[in-house]
Amino acid sequence: MHPVVRWFHQLGSPPYFERFAARWAPIAYIAGLLVMAYGLYGALFVVPADYQQGDSFRILYIHVPSAWMSMAAFALMALYAAIALIWRIKLCEILAMACAPVGAAFTLITLATGSIWGKPMWGTWWDWDPRLTTELILLFLYLGVIGLYNAIDDRRNASRAAGLLAIVGVALLPVIHYSVTWWNSLHQGQTISLFGTSHMDPSMLPPLWAMVIGTHLWFVGSLLARARADNLRRESGKDWVARLAEPRA
Amino acid sequence: MSYQNYVIAAYCVFAVVMLWDFVAPRLQVRQQLRAARLRATRAGRNTTNEFPLSRE
Repeated sequence: MHPVVRWFHQLGSPPYFERFAARWAPIAYIAGLLVMAYGLYGALFVVPADYQQGDSFRILYIHVPSAWMSMAAFALMALYAAIALIWRIKLCEILAMACAPVGAAFTLITLATGSIWGKPMWGTWWDWDPRLTTELILLFLYLGVIGLYNAIDDRRNASRAAGLLAIVGVALLPVIHYSVTWWNSLHQGQTISLFGTSHMDPSMLPPLWAMVIGTHLWFVGSLLARARADNLRRESGKDWVARLAEPRA
Repeated sequence: MSYQNYVIAAYCVFAVVMLWDFVAPRLQVRQQLRAARLRATRAGRNTTNEFPLSRE
């Protein structure tokens, strides 16, 4: 068997995943924190104020990466849920459900920072604008997935039901992305593009990319840590968990 | 205008939510390991007291 394929098979084993997550989650957290520290320093102290928005545009450096992360986490959750439903891989159920709280946290940051940014720029904390409304629906979907997962006692049935909701909910992602194009929106159009041309001054971009990479690394750390907790919860009666919990001399 | 207060408020929200995101799973892992330890202790106690009279 190819070593990579064997590694994937091994990763599906709960004790192996526990060791893997316990080792890599702190590394991902630290890497994410360091990259975000660089990005935040650039965003707050290096990048000049915007000629129209003044310093308020600095909110962009946490708002945009969080918004991208909120959608990426949902897409990943739906992907894991689909794999779990098709191939019945327990680890994918765990990973899918671990995506939900982290994604919800990033969605909350997106909505809160957007609201704070909207007050000085638009003169209002909130508007039923297509982009804002669809992002709010995304938060409700995340909360729905978390609620459904915790409402059913049987972990496997719970993750299947919640996973199905995640798969259906993924249809919202293109609506969020294109909402500023499809409808007449108060929210500004796309100014930053991953692959195309960004309508921002190049001097303002490096901290943004640092924040995007930093939030992704942080997401990996949080995903592994949450999946580890759920893995231990599901395997609570097993000998390997009891051995793990034994106080070390 | 600098809008400094809005910037500070937004970054505070970011910091608080990220802190929660860091702390919550660590507490869950600790809780699960503690529960496993208690279960193991209880199981050990039950095993030693299984036949208390047979030792006499």
